[in-house]
Amino acid sequence: MKVTLEVRPRRKPHLPIEAEKIVPRTFFEETDGLSVFRGNKELALEEIFSVAIEGEAASVDGVEITILGDSSRIKRVGEYMDGGRIHVMGDIGMHCGNFMSAGEIVIDGNADAWLGREMRGGTIRCHGSAGDFCAAGYRGEKRGMRGGTVEVFGDAGDFTAETLAGGTVIVHGNAGDLAGVDMKDGVLTIMGDTSMACANMSGGRAYVHGTVYDMIPTFRNIGRETVGGDVFTRFAGDIANRGKGTLFIRNYKYMD
Amino acid sequence: MTELLIRNACVIDPINDICGEIMDIAVRDGKIVESVGSGAEVIDAGGSLTMPGGIDAHTHVCGTKVNFGRYMSPEDMRAGRTARRGHMHATSGYSVPTTYGTSYRYSAMGYTTALEGAMAPLEARHTHEEFAYTPLQDMMANTLFDGNWPVMQAIHDGDIKRVAAIVGWTLSAVKGFAIKLTNPGGTEAWGWGKDVSSIRDVVPHFEVTPAEIIRAMIEANEMLNLPHSVHLHCNCLGKPGNYETTLETFDLVPNTNDKRQSLYATHVQFHAYGGSSWRDICSRSEEICRAINQKPQIVMDMGQVMFGKTTTMTADGPMEFNLYRLYHNKWSNHDVELETGSGIIPVYYNRKNLVNSIMWAIGLELALLTDNPWQCILATDNPNGAPFVKYPEIIALLMSKRYRNGVFQTVHPDTEHNVPLAALDRELTWKEIAIMTRAAPAKALGIVDIGKGHLGEGADADIAIYPLNINEIDPAKAPEEVIRAFGQTDYTIKRGRVVCCRGTCMVDGENTTIWVNPRISENHSMDHDPEFARNFDKNYTIRMRNYPVQEEYLQRNLCIETEARL
Ligand SMILES: [Zn+2]
Repeated sequence: MKVTLEVRPRRKPHLPIEAEKIVPRTFFEETDGLSVFRGNKELALEEIFSVAIEGEAASVDGVEITILGDSSRIKRVGEYMDGGRIHVMGDIGMHCGNFMSAGEIVIDGNADAWLGREMRGGTIRCHGSAGDFCAAGYRGEKRGMRGGTVEVFGDAGDFTAETLAGGTVIVHGNAGDLAGVDMKDGVLTIMGDTSMACANMSGGRAYVHGTVYDMIPTFRNIGRETVGGDVFTRFAGDIANRGKGTLFIRNYKYMD
Repeated sequence: MTELLIRNACVIDPINDICGEIMDIAVRDGKIVESVGSGAEVIDAGGSLTMPGGIDAHTHVCGTKVNFGRYMSPEDMRAGRTARRGHMHATSGYSVPTTYGTSYRYSAMGYTTALEGAMAPLEARHTHEEFAYTPLQDMMANTLFDGNWPVMQAIHDGDIKRVAAIVGWTLSAVKGFAIKLTNPGGTEAWGWGKDVSSIRDVVPHFEVTPAEIIRAMIEANEMLNLPHSVHLHCNCLGKPGNYETTLETFDLVPNTNDKRQSLYATHVQFHAYGGSSWRDICSRSEEICRAINQKPQIVMDMGQVMFGKTTTMTADGPMEFNLYRLYHNKWSNHDVELETGSGIIPVYYNRKNLVNSIMWAIGLELALLTDNPWQCILATDNPNGAPFVKYPEIIALLMSKRYRNGVFQTVHPDTEHNVPLAALDRELTWKEIAIMTRAAPAKALGIVDIGKGHLGEGADADIAIYPLNINEIDPAKAPEEVIRAFGQTDYTIKRGRVVCCRGTCMVDGENTTIWVNPRISENHSMDHDPEFARNFDKNYTIRMRNYPVQEEYLQRNLCIETEARL
């Protein structure tokens, strides 16, 4: 089943649309009567999107959703996704892939904040940049993302992989402040720079191929180590949190 | 004039010695009257259990500390979400709900009055603002004096009249209801990184002991003729072996008031531990209850712990630091200049954990071993021991030995070697539950005279009708029926209006804040005391004239004026 959703031109394109219904399972089960919310107003899916559906699917994994047009304010696409594929041709709004457990989301443009929040499984690939709290958890909750893969080819914002408790997060560009903060498990890789990496980390592994600015002083320097042909400095910590995490860094700079 | 007639109510009203009589209750303009006219609105209770509205004598629901619990635990707001509906606002939160969430859930359980357990005087405005948004319960605020600098100075100087004068001035300035001492002296010591480990330790810089503070405050309380007694959270909360401190504290208490107790000891479960470490902690409920049974001058509440997630919040800053070191989770620590402090951490009481299992057992033991139910009030120190929505389960545990045994099977297997609970066969009666949840709280708080906790003529028409026929249900055999009935009333009536019907709140509501204003002679008034004013302006970061809570912070309110012997 191929579902094509093209965002219609909107008079006020900045108003966010709550679109948690846009997930393969919805279309696999029922294609009629779907709705989204703008504020507290419930709108038919067709009011916001032109909808085209071709073919049938034997399982949720046979559903592929393509989103075109200005989808930068369409929120919660792929929430609780448990199979199938979503392809966003442009940018996507906040909370894309919340609680996702299986399937694949590909974003050609940028993703707004909270991409893959509390994700359990599946794969998200964002070819542009991601906003703050990419692959993070809910505020206050101890454990965030627990499984699956989030790969961002551009930069990611602050608090990337906050409270990461499983799965893999890869940022090819730079990450903002406090990447991997409160991380418990899983693997975080940042190819560029970040700052205050992994503060309060208690478990898991993180690799920073660029420079960590404002390096947290409560990590113990274990020494040089070669990983995949590159020389890293290995740290253990965060000892301020009795942490047992491992942090590999190419370059680092403590706060002056 | 509005009139209401409740027919065929099976009434339990311990203060008026009514136990299970089928009768009609007449209400005019919010008060209970002898009879009403034929035009009155009629509710047929159909023989259902009908009692005065429930009164929580110790709960934490409004104020800065509660609110900090909310914003340090946004994840708690994911639980208990309800949408806006009719007169009901949207709510969220489980252990620290929004004020409306608190109010609606209490109301659904038939509770119409509550005492906020701890209000820092300096931060009183926040408490009163939240009272205004807790519309379905009349509210009172315990006012913290455990580390009050001018009070400790006056105690040190041996000037009890001055202690009373400062307390009286402060209570009326902040629109408080009663004196609360939380770990007296300990929270002040915590401001210097210390704590007190017994009631004989000396508080740094003030050279007074917790014992001196407690004794002086009891005396001052009676001098001010306050409706409630001193409300004490003993020293050494949560420490193995602390029952000795609790017993020593009880020995300080004279029997000075013939209408009510002279000391209210709160959440005594947390103060009834034997042993010397977490490894050998055990229950000392028998020793505690032996003392309570011999001392009519003391009333306590259970401080029952129930398994599950909750948030601890108290003015006992050093205790929360110890908990933080145990759990290593997020923690808040707060100092209130010249007065008190507070700490907050989220916790999870686990039935597989021996210490938590022992705590659970001790609370129940206190209720079962206290001969006179007027001396042991049902409460969880909400939300410290458990959110108040667990009260129906606690009632069932107290009324059914079989249910208790069933839960006992699920707790840590070593619990039975450390607590006497399994040997206790007592099953509380409907009347005893009515006493522990409305009559005794009203009497202990001193609010029977203003029409709380009973259904006699002239009383406030605060009434709870539970979907339960006590002549048909055996609580010992049908605990699930007890839990269901106490979890949701058919009707909760407040000031003569049905405010909640089968869980749906029917009105916007407007509660009453009850506060005290002790009349003190001019020559003892702090308003005309140059030394008090000088020290106030020297030590506080605000001016004395800006300290009192302005009338506009109170909406509907009832001021209890007392004649101080000063
Ligand atoms: Zn309390």
